[in-house]
Amino acid sequence: MIATFTFLTKRRGGLLTVIALILVLTIFGVLVSETFGTASNALNILEQSTPLALVSLGQTLVIITGGIDLSVGSMISLASVLLSGITNGDPLMMVVALATIMGAGILVGLINAGASIYLRVHPLVVTLGMGAILQGLTLLYTQTPIGKMPKGFSQLAYGKVLGLPIGAVVTIAAFVLTAIFLRKVPLGRYIYATGDDATGAQLMGLPRHKVLFLAYGFCGLMASIAAIFLVARLGSGQPYTGQNFTLTSITPVVVGGTLLSGGRGGVMGTLMGVYMVSLLNNLLNFLSLSTHFQLIVQGLIVIIAVSVYVENKRKV
Amino acid sequence: MAHTEQMAPARDILRTYGIHIVLAALIGVTAILSPAFLSGNNISNMLLQAAPLGIVVIGQVLVILVRGLDLSVASVMATAAVVATTFSGQDSDAFPVFVVAMLIGLATGLVNGLLITKRNVSPFLVTLATMTLLQGMRFAYTQGAPSGNVPPIYRVLGSQTFYGVPYNLMILVVLATVFSVLLHKTTYGRQVYLTGGNPVMARLVGIHADRITIASYVISGGLAALAGLIYSGFVGIVDNWVGRGFELDSIVAAVMGGVALSGGRGTILGGLFGAAILVVVFNAVLMLGMPIEFQIIIKGIVIIAAAAIYVRRA
Repeated sequence: MIATFTFLTKRRGGLLTVIALILVLTIFGVLVSETFGTASNALNILEQSTPLALVSLGQTLVIITGGIDLSVGSMISLASVLLSGITNGDPLMMVVALATIMGAGILVGLINAGASIYLRVHPLVVTLGMGAILQGLTLLYTQTPIGKMPKGFSQLAYGKVLGLPIGAVVTIAAFVLTAIFLRKVPLGRYIYATGDDATGAQLMGLPRHKVLFLAYGFCGLMASIAAIFLVARLGSGQPYTGQNFTLTSITPVVVGGTLLSGGRGGVMGTLMGVYMVSLLNNLLNFLSLSTHFQLIVQGLIVIIAVSVYVENKRKV
Repeated sequence: MAHTEQMAPARDILRTYGIHIVLAALIGVTAILSPAFLSGNNISNMLLQAAPLGIVVIGQVLVILVRGLDLSVASVMATAAVVATTFSGQDSDAFPVFVVAMLIGLATGLVNGLLITKRNVSPFLVTLATMTLLQGMRFAYTQGAPSGNVPPIYRVLGSQTFYGVPYNLMILVVLATVFSVLLHKTTYGRQVYLTGGNPVMARLVGIHADRITIASYVISGGLAALAGLIYSGFVGIVDNWVGRGFELDSIVAAVMGGVALSGGRGTILGGLFGAAILVVVFNAVLMLGMPIEFQIIIKGIVIIAAAAIYVRRA
């Protein structure tokens, strides 16, 4: 019994901490506000967390490989203006637009991976540069909100399946599938191996390049899909939509216990991290604190989380 | 073998003087395409813009030399600029403004340095977090709409020239000289290079590597605050985003100038040449009538290309 408990706290300490924090925040919220604890607010939080959850899912894979993707924010901006700009209210063009942005997301990811493999430049620099390029392209395309989506597209953000927001269902499905992939499929295991010890993995003949292309391509795709949900909520694409997502997408990952040095962690921790961040932002709204405080809190969370986890790793 | 021996000097020349050749070529081509480029007015203007960036680059180089990265510089700049307008806006407040802004910059650097060394957190994440933190504090403080005036003396330092030589350029030259001497002629400087080049060795020979690293971040924070004050004098109006983009620009400049992101290699002068190239490119984009968005795109391409070229050296 005790052994199981120690095992749990050691292996899953991060996850348990995050879940405990979510509980504490919920109790606190219920105490300070009557409307906080309602089912409609809970659904609201689930819906609002969708774009963040999807980007963070992609970011988690990249971080497990030992890399980082700083281009996701700009990718979201580019994808969202392309989506509503190309569609411009025409349902037929919407299909073209969706295919374009998903293709673009994957392509950008593949270029990120390719540049860091063949130019031997650290992913940090590659994706920082890529982020600037994508933001430039976005502004070249439009400087103001552009185009509109066909009627009913906002259902993607506000509609429900089985009583849950569509986005929440998509999110949970994506996380569960990715978790299974990481655990059960050899290529998924190779992602961990590459992140833990790149040279060792390569010496063993593991396909390091394939792993990197997969992780970054997936991350780019997830950024585009996140943009779809953002456009559904906002009604049109805006050139700075994704701006804050670069840091925001990393926060849940590190909060959920995935180490920036690679090789450790998992997507379920990230999902809990996403819910914690969304819950916190929601709570700050209920306390009528301006969105500016969300930035402060977010900065603090990242600093505290990374400090705590680093200590955990040292003890091992 | 003979082949390699013959090739080596050519490659070395390209690596050592490549940046100067690129700068000269850029200036030459732009001057031919747009005669106004070399007018006294435009040169003065470019130097005025280059100085704040150069001041930030000095700090960024010191940080990159110890295997770090400082993404919080732009946020420190903007916060310093907001501070500059908080008081009466008269010259009598120029000194209190300077003290408060410097304290913010130095404190940010200290937090960065402590978390990076004592908690072993990746520099990129720490400075990204302090950047966000400062941004939130600034927004909460100004309620999103800063107002007030920059003390006139900062306007003079940031936007005026002395017989064509900008005051802020003089400040940059003094700072660059001081820090170059520190780096190349003192024990501290050698400790910086060893800490970045080989941290294990640095510790073994008794260098307080942590202190050296923290010092780099503190200096970077302080220089960013100073650059913010000067830049607010250049812009003339305050907003929450003074210096936006300087974090990326300063890193690009350093990398282009041959400062290795892996630490321990590079000079302040190199970083300043990198900054000069950036300013010339930005100016050329405008002079040649290209859309201003090209500045961002070129910046992105340049940082990847520069990093790719220098990585082979390691």
